[in-house]
Amino acid sequence: MSQSRQINVSKNGVPVIAIVVLAIIFAVGLFVVGFDQGHIFSLVYGEEAFQDMYIHELTHDMRHAAGFPCH
Amino acid sequence: MKTFLFILIVIASGASAGLILGVANLVFVEPSLDQATGIENQHLFATGEEKDTPEFQIKYEGYRTWQKSGQMLAGGILGISIGSLFGIAFALSRNALPGKTDIKKALVLAGIMWLTIYFIPFLKYPANPPTVGDPETVILRGILYLSFITISGFGAVGFYKLSQKLKTKKFIAIVGYVAFIVIAFITMPENPDQITAPVDLVNHFRMMSAFTVSLYWLSLGLILGSLWTHYKPHKEITSFS
Repeated sequence: MSQSRQINVSKNGVPVIAIVVLAIIFAVGLFVVGFDQGHIFSLVYGEEAFQDMYIHELTHDMRHAAGFPCH
Repeated sequence: MKTFLFILIVIASGASAGLILGVANLVFVEPSLDQATGIENQHLFATGEEKDTPEFQIKYEGYRTWQKSGQMLAGGILGISIGSLFGIAFALSRNALPGKTDIKKALVLAGIMWLTIYFIPFLKYPANPPTVGDPETVILRGILYLSFITISGFGAVGFYKLSQKLKTKKFIAIVGYVAFIVIAFITMPENPDQITAPVDLVNHFRMMSAFTVSLYWLSLGLILGSLWTHYKPHKEITSFS
């Protein structure tokens, strides 16, 4: 009679896909909060986005508080 | 490793710590930001760019309320972003980190990353409140700040790798990193902007800023360590007959 068993196995390998996904989240999130000057919205709204700087203004207080350079 | 669970707890811990950062900023940093934006308004009135009217004050208050609401959103985004880097570093270094529990290991790593990619760059390029930054230099300042973080962070990784090869003489790697940072500190250009805001305001703002960001790193280590302990994403269930 066959018997099915389960064991917990520790594996040291970190999945590459997880590293790639998290690295992308890191880079995009950091750019949005810390460095965007209208670049992201300019993909849709063109040059006007650099004047409005919507994301810059929305993240303005966090930008200062977290130590990122601001205007 | 359970890939989806790993990503999920990294994002959850980053978002949680980021929301703590947002709340802490609203309590501890916003008073300084309000004071600084008030000084900016006085400059606008003095130069005639704006008039101190009830209409202006209503518009200004509405705008500031909107910006303050952004603290929580930005806290969540920044928390997840930095938390993702922390999650990658934790997963890759977990077996080498000192400490018997995952909470202790996560706190040790949070302390190392706080020092190397936050506090040391902060000492060179400290946070400034509104009224200090010149819009013309914002890109240069961004490049300098990011460069210093990169230099310090990769420097720490490089000297850690060196310490693994040195085995019994690990202190040489620590001394090497300190010397490396001192050289970078001296050779990197200064912040080009003059500080024209009151010194007390700037100093208080910097202390509160350092406090809330440090609280974020502490929270991040505790939360990720706790979630890792509970869910054990490194363990995989293997079935066999």
